[in-house]
Amino acid sequence: MKNLIAQTRLMDGIYKALDNKLIRYGVYLLLVTLVILTPLFANNYVLEILTNTWFYVVLCLGLNIVVGYAGLLDLGYAAFFAIGAYTTGILSSVFGMNFWLTIPFSIVLSGISGVVIGGPTLRLRSDYLAIVTLGFGEITRLVVRNLSITGGASGLIGINRPTVFGVYLSKINHFYYMFFILVLIAIFVSYRLYHSRLGRAWQYIREDEDAAEAMGIDRVKFKLYAFVIGAIFGGVAGSFFAIKMTAISPETFIFTQSAMILLAVVLGGMGKIPGVVLGAGILVLFPEIFRAVGQSRMLLFGIVLIVIMIFRPQGIWPDRRN
Amino acid sequence: MSLQEIILQQLINGILIGSFYSLVALGYTMVYGIIKLLNFAHGDIYMVGAFVGFVVLGLVSGILGAGWAGIIISMLASMLIVGLLGVGIQRVAYRPLLKAPRLSILITAVGVSLVLYNFVMVLTNGEFMAFNTDLSFAGIDLGSVRVTYTQMILVIATASLMLGLHWFINKTMYGRAMRAIAIDQDACRLMGINVNKTIALTFFVGSALAAAAGVMAGVYYGSINFFMGFVIGLKAFTAAVIGGIGSIPGAMVGGLILGLLEAIGTQLPMVGSEWKDVFAFVILILLLVFKPTGILGKSEIERM
Amino acid sequence: MKKKTLFLFLLIGLMAFLVVGCGGTEAPAPAPPAGSGDGDAPKAPGFDGEIKLGFMVPVTGSEAPYGKDMENAAKLALEEINNNGGVLGKKLVMSTADDACDPQVASAAATKLISENVVAVVGGYCSGATLPTLKLYSDADIPFVIAAANSTQLIDANDGKAFMINGTGLHQGQKAVELFNKLDAKKIALVHQGDGYSEDLAKITGQLWKDAGNEVVGTEVVTKGEQNYSSVVTRIKSKNPDFVYWTAYYADGGLFIKQLRQGGYTGEIVVGDGSNDPKLLELAGKAASEGVFVTTNPLVEYMPVAKEFMDNYKAKYKQDPGPYSALAYDGIYLVADAIERAGGIDSKALIKALDDTADYKGLSGIISFNEDKTLVQSNFVLLKAEGGKWVLLD
Repeated sequence: MKNLIAQTRLMDGIYKALDNKLIRYGVYLLLVTLVILTPLFANNYVLEILTNTWFYVVLCLGLNIVVGYAGLLDLGYAAFFAIGAYTTGILSSVFGMNFWLTIPFSIVLSGISGVVIGGPTLRLRSDYLAIVTLGFGEITRLVVRNLSITGGASGLIGINRPTVFGVYLSKINHFYYMFFILVLIAIFVSYRLYHSRLGRAWQYIREDEDAAEAMGIDRVKFKLYAFVIGAIFGGVAGSFFAIKMTAISPETFIFTQSAMILLAVVLGGMGKIPGVVLGAGILVLFPEIFRAVGQSRMLLFGIVLIVIMIFRPQGIWPDRRN
Repeated sequence: MSLQEIILQQLINGILIGSFYSLVALGYTMVYGIIKLLNFAHGDIYMVGAFVGFVVLGLVSGILGAGWAGIIISMLASMLIVGLLGVGIQRVAYRPLLKAPRLSILITAVGVSLVLYNFVMVLTNGEFMAFNTDLSFAGIDLGSVRVTYTQMILVIATASLMLGLHWFINKTMYGRAMRAIAIDQDACRLMGINVNKTIALTFFVGSALAAAAGVMAGVYYGSINFFMGFVIGLKAFTAAVIGGIGSIPGAMVGGLILGLLEAIGTQLPMVGSEWKDVFAFVILILLLVFKPTGILGKSEIERM
Repeated sequence: MKKKTLFLFLLIGLMAFLVVGCGGTEAPAPAPPAGSGDGDAPKAPGFDGEIKLGFMVPVTGSEAPYGKDMENAAKLALEEINNNGGVLGKKLVMSTADDACDPQVASAAATKLISENVVAVVGGYCSGATLPTLKLYSDADIPFVIAAANSTQLIDANDGKAFMINGTGLHQGQKAVELFNKLDAKKIALVHQGDGYSEDLAKITGQLWKDAGNEVVGTEVVTKGEQNYSSVVTRIKSKNPDFVYWTAYYADGGLFIKQLRQGGYTGEIVVGDGSNDPKLLELAGKAASEGVFVTTNPLVEYMPVAKEFMDNYKAKYKQDPGPYSALAYDGIYLVADAIERAGGIDSKALIKALDDTADYKGLSGIISFNEDKTLVQSNFVLLKAEGGKWVLLD
């Protein structure tokens, strides 16, 4: 680990520079430009990794609304991701629907499942909510594994990719930009939610439920909003996942997936968007960077995770409001 | 097989599976009760227990043979070693985080799980180890219903361990300290109870129980592998919650109920092996909707 | 955004780009571009350049032993080919990418190999993981010789650029039905593990059996790693089938067989090629494993022509070759042969050469391809366990 004092001094110097609003926006622009220009000099493998990162960023931002904003422990987030993916998959493969048309269906179905799952259960204590959400995650996975309309254990194959403004989405570049656009949308929505009345209500609920109740905030209703919005993020991400992979199977939606998404959110620093983005980045990049380590790479990941949590339990980049 | 025989056999099956779930669920519930942590690494402790038992059995079987004598020695050894491992993990990974946000310690537990799981995977190269014991298939046959002696011994062993735990919690000073800390940690400190030592003890006992279950699994099923903690971890966690997380009798009851639900579910015509897990989870969720703190859980007005 | 956070974001973003950009390949030196042939590639001694193949198998996870075994065999093949002058005078090299038996990891592995400009890919063990990679390789015009994965779903997903050199689920189901008929069975039960491969095999066998007018008393699913199958055993026992066909993998299969016998099931047991491993018998125990059948591709022990392969493998790796080593070995040799026949590495020519493969004599059997790029002649055989070892039937 770096020498913390030297690091702080360096950071102080740069903070002063970044105080300037112009420079700040300049940096945003720089980052976005970097991202846009990357396909010009990076190979397909790098683009694949980055596209995966964008994808997980969207998922993590979705879970962040549930866990980070509203403080609900969801251990079955992969269920929404699965619902979105299979909705698009089935409507597209079996009914030949245009991909863009499947998205509203995906939104509606994941939203409904959010209501169905959250409605009766959000009043439960957080640890019980955890097990219920875990249960739903497993139920969803088993349902898609058992039914033939979802392709059974082999899943759906041959999901058609769509055309955007005349471009048939097939190359990694296409998905790279497509997913990055999703990331921008997700960041925008998360940001607006955070600073909205809804976001503030969630914060009150998270910090002191009794006071929130006294102020007239209906806890269950607001938690449900968070849950449903999070569900929709997951569903939409799932739909795009389906067309990128063209083949989806139940194995992708196991409990480990939900745990990893949660891990990314907490590791990065819950609540705050940059933290979540960072967490998603680490989640995707770590196993790839350390592919050379071979078998022990997840072992290494576990160790690093423990170390980071011990030294920075609030996450690498937490919400300063906490 | 007649219908009565089938039902009886499935009930027996359920009790056996449930016993394993209960043993592992106890560890979950004890740790949760005392520091409110859902210890995701617990299933992997069970797995490590099986491997330690395997190694010890290998060492001991030269002298004592691989019969019950050897098995008991390896189980006790594993319980001791893995109990200490649990204490060590708690000291290194969890204690620094007791004042941290709850989710952080949860993620640390995920980290510990990853470490244990992958460590054993790398060590064994992903291979499955055959747990070789000189046990036979002999048992009692009531018509087509069969209970093997091994099964009976295992259930009795599990019950004994649980009875032992019950006595420990209710009749000894340490057990009382554990229960007190679960209610109010700060008050206990003020009263002079060594909270840290008690927490360590809790981890020791919980891990030892899981290790016992692991060795028994190795003996009974005949094979161990790095992956075996995953499914039982989830199931035991579910069982602990069904019974009321934090409640020790709850974990015992929850384990048995889950085991029975699964066995019965497998036999039901509409459900079958395909849907038995869905069946169990649906019932669990319905149960929680109507009794939000689990079967034996304490009904409190809870804040998140 | 706060400036501190912004700065950190920038820093980490830059670091990530740098690391990913540089750390993208495993080799410390940049890999020589495959197929450039002449001036660009570093001259391997005695060779006129390099031809690079991709090799995709699970090297981590529960299926790692199989993947490693296949990799060993492939490397052996490479060594032999290069000792004999390489392919078209060029050295044959191979880059292994781990698919961890997981579809997402496999897709990343596939993309990685594609970005390394491999000429062809050999590999594929877990059908579920292999499935999404077909389209990726196909879109990149890279021929894929699927060595071990054999779910019939792969046939449906195949755009014509993948070639399956292992008998498919259909071939295997037929072999199983042959066995059932041989022993005059009337009722069978199928058990799978809820993954693509085992479910596929179970469904196909069930369909074939029912089409022949017979009865399938049940199709059961067990969860990988569950260990306790007593309730399924009881259910099966209560229906009294003549045969139980376990179509999943050996790890859980061993336990399942043991529990079947422990539970008092007295009928016959047969397992699919996913359980083809001597470890299955070890895990089931001597008593339970006696008389268990397996439908599988031929093990190298039974092929006289493979004796040399076995000896070489053993000498190099100090252990016996595993059940899929022959297929991996054949896969590499087949690609090398196809490159020679195509006279180069142009993908269209190579695909056509693979397609035109006629009566190629591999270790695992004779390879010719159907319209759907599966084997014309199934290579499945029946083995029976006797005294803790597999013995060839037929």
